[in-house]
Amino acid sequence: MIFSWQIILMIVISILFISWFLYRPIKETLSDDDSNIQINKQRQNELISDKSIGLIEEQYFKEAENEIIGTLASELKSNESKNFEIKPLIWVVSIAVFIAIISLSLYSQLAPKIIPNASDNSSESLSMDESLDALKEYLVENPDDFSAWLMLGMAQAGIGDVDDSIISFENAFKINSNDIDLLLQYATALSLNQDGAFIGAPKELIEKALSISPQSEQVLYFAGIVAAQEANFDLARDYWEKALYIMPDSHPDRGIIEEALETISNLQVK
Amino acid sequence: MLIEVGHFALVLALVISVILIVVPSIGIYQNKASLSQLAKPLVWGQFFWIGVAFFVLMNAFLTNDFSVKYVADNSNTQLPILFKASAVWGAHEGSLLLWVFVLSIWSTAVSIFSKRIPSNLLNLILIVLGAVNFGFLLFLLYTSNPFERLMIPPLEGRELNPLLQDFGLAVHPPMLYMGYVGLAVPFAFVIAALIRGQLDSSWLRWTRPWTLISWAFLTIGITLGSWWAYYELGWGGWWFWDPVENASFMPWLIATALIHSLSVSEKRGILRKWTVLLCIGGFSLSLLGTFLVRSGVLTSVHAFATDPARGLFILIFLFIVIGGSLALYAWRYNLLQKSNPISLFSRETGLLINNILLVTAMLSVLLGTLYPLILDTLNLGKISVGVPYFNAVFIPIMLPAVVLMAIFPFVRWKKDTLKRVSSHLRLHWLGILALILIARIFVTDNIFVLIAIGLFIWMLVHVMVLLIARMRSKSVFSFAFIGMLIAHLGIAVFTLGATVTTQMGIEKDIKMSFGETQNIAGYDFVFNGVNRYQRDNYAGFMGNITVFKDGKEITTLMPEKRYYQSGMPMTEASIHPSLARDLYVALGEELVENSWSVRIYYKPLVRWIWLGGLMIALGALFAAIDRRYFLRAKS
Repeated sequence: MIFSWQIILMIVISILFISWFLYRPIKETLSDDDSNIQINKQRQNELISDKSIGLIEEQYFKEAENEIIGTLASELKSNESKNFEIKPLIWVVSIAVFIAIISLSLYSQLAPKIIPNASDNSSESLSMDESLDALKEYLVENPDDFSAWLMLGMAQAGIGDVDDSIISFENAFKINSNDIDLLLQYATALSLNQDGAFIGAPKELIEKALSISPQSEQVLYFAGIVAAQEANFDLARDYWEKALYIMPDSHPDRGIIEEALETISNLQVK
Repeated sequence: MLIEVGHFALVLALVISVILIVVPSIGIYQNKASLSQLAKPLVWGQFFWIGVAFFVLMNAFLTNDFSVKYVADNSNTQLPILFKASAVWGAHEGSLLLWVFVLSIWSTAVSIFSKRIPSNLLNLILIVLGAVNFGFLLFLLYTSNPFERLMIPPLEGRELNPLLQDFGLAVHPPMLYMGYVGLAVPFAFVIAALIRGQLDSSWLRWTRPWTLISWAFLTIGITLGSWWAYYELGWGGWWFWDPVENASFMPWLIATALIHSLSVSEKRGILRKWTVLLCIGGFSLSLLGTFLVRSGVLTSVHAFATDPARGLFILIFLFIVIGGSLALYAWRYNLLQKSNPISLFSRETGLLINNILLVTAMLSVLLGTLYPLILDTLNLGKISVGVPYFNAVFIPIMLPAVVLMAIFPFVRWKKDTLKRVSSHLRLHWLGILALILIARIFVTDNIFVLIAIGLFIWMLVHVMVLLIARMRSKSVFSFAFIGMLIAHLGIAVFTLGATVTTQMGIEKDIKMSFGETQNIAGYDFVFNGVNRYQRDNYAGFMGNITVFKDGKEITTLMPEKRYYQSGMPMTEASIHPSLARDLYVALGEELVENSWSVRIYYKPLVRWIWLGGLMIALGALFAAIDRRYFLRAKS
């Protein structure tokens, strides 16, 4: 949670702005009666104008005029209610306290725990090892950060450190076991330790992902792989065809799925 | 740190919206004007902080701040500056920020330009708008934060969807959102009136100009979207009945019904119940569209998100808005019962028929849009409802609406006779019939085109007769009257353009070798060759096709095939436009050496489609600035 003078300044500006209008309220414009009288007068004038250009017959003009008068009569209120004054200070203090407490509480809940230095990305980047070390250090202090564990696992998998990536994914899984990206990455990492076979735990993870997001094209793709590895080619075809149906025509991964479909077609022919 | 300022600005806007809901409500309930009058400054405060957040995010795009996940996902250093700025709303989070920003603009506009609205009504309207914005700010902050940071910022960002790398992205979504979100204003008016239990002349009078303005924006937004799709997608279509297009078209149909219904309610004090329902329906459909686009139930170029949590949030919000509004409607139903009598043949009846047809048309589109989704959700199979359904159902409903649109401006209020109207217009009808016969002999025997020509002449003649009659009566021309004429002519222009381009357009999907000539609709297209080229953010091939007519060079068209960094191929059509026809060429794939697949289109009157749309919007804007909305109210 980052508190800074900018945030304090923003709260102060908001409070001062609202306070100003509590001490100097904007004047009321019109009452309901004034407005309705004015509008119905205009309606009456419009009716006269309609009559002059033949848009209403003489015999119905009077009837319509009576309707306008009747409408106005039903809209007028017998008495306007009295206005009560307030003590602005009480309201200013209440609103100030409310703004300060609620905005800071909400922000402490929503804001990132640390802010990356924006200049880092524009000048020089960290090496992969340095980045991983920085991430690990961060995770020592913030072991509940799901995104950081997922990112660490993906980075480790990316450099071929499969065993460590599995540990990272496992930690992420303990925090949030319903994240689709994690389930797919975790399953992939586990399968790499089984020569690419999606059996046992990887299969269960894919099935879980499928139950959470049956419309996700990525999940459908992996579900197809699981089915294909079990030689259930019809089911694999179903999954992949559904994935293709969902994907936009321009999706860059279409080719991969089309290739997979072609492969199982060839296998079935053989 | 600037990013955190943007994020915190959104939090402050949320907190201010809570104060906006609570404090002025206490003021209204306890008759404390100092508190109720706080609604306006609170709306301004909300607008200010949302504006700060919006421009902070835009700045992050312009300065390539890839520490922001949303920026890293949708922009890179090679993206031209216009696309960087418009990439702000190129994906879910930013477009939702645009949504709340637009709503705050509308709220501020209502607070500033409503000096003639009774204070109590205005304050309650602002409270309702604040409540709607509260819901969306909550959604934005908890499920779709555009200011989310990346722990390790990448050196380079990803690519904005190549389809969106176009000027269209800069103009289409803001205009569409102005219309879409603008329907929250009539909704707020009616909810405020229902809460107060005062469905009086004031809310009726002041709902109409705001509805007209939001309807005009919605029309412009839809028109721009159609134009963008036409030149960007590379196959010459201008409307696809895509579920997301339908999602914006359905509120448009309801808003069209609403502006007509409001005119009857305002003028004659009838159809109030119906008008209230249309106000609620318009905004509910706009929320339904948001749900369809952002819940993941649809896959389309427009669909932003596939996150069920977001869909669930909007669905709950949708139920609260629709359920709450209808409950309020039921509670106040007694107040709406009084109505003046209506005769069978009168201008009121005409406007009622117009409403029935528009709502029926909307329901047919709704059915075609939702039915496949419902079947799929219930695992009852996948079906595709496409163009044939919509054309078969929608057009027959709208045909009588266009016919009647020309006649009913001649019909009197309260009561009239068919005999009087027909005797007044009989000679003109004979003239129209003669013109259609001439068109049949000299122009075309295509029945659909003949119907469209007939409707165009029908509308044009009636508008001219109306105009001349009004000039003869020497009465003052109101902006509302001029607006009606322009908008109705716009419908005629659109109908003719859409029918002629669909029925008489020519399309050729052919293989062309260098030096080869193809003749289409009297034009010779000479394929000169293809050059490879490189730009900052994409590479591609550019074709060179010279067009001749009767041996005279008309233009040289340069269609492109682009390959963006993601490898995604994009077709950039080259168009020679004119009011009478477009010549449209799109480059396909290289087939063999020096030979390419090429699509050539001849599109007669296609520009009339968008011209008609713009005329409709212009008509609405004219009607919105009618004198009656600017008359000074005196105590």
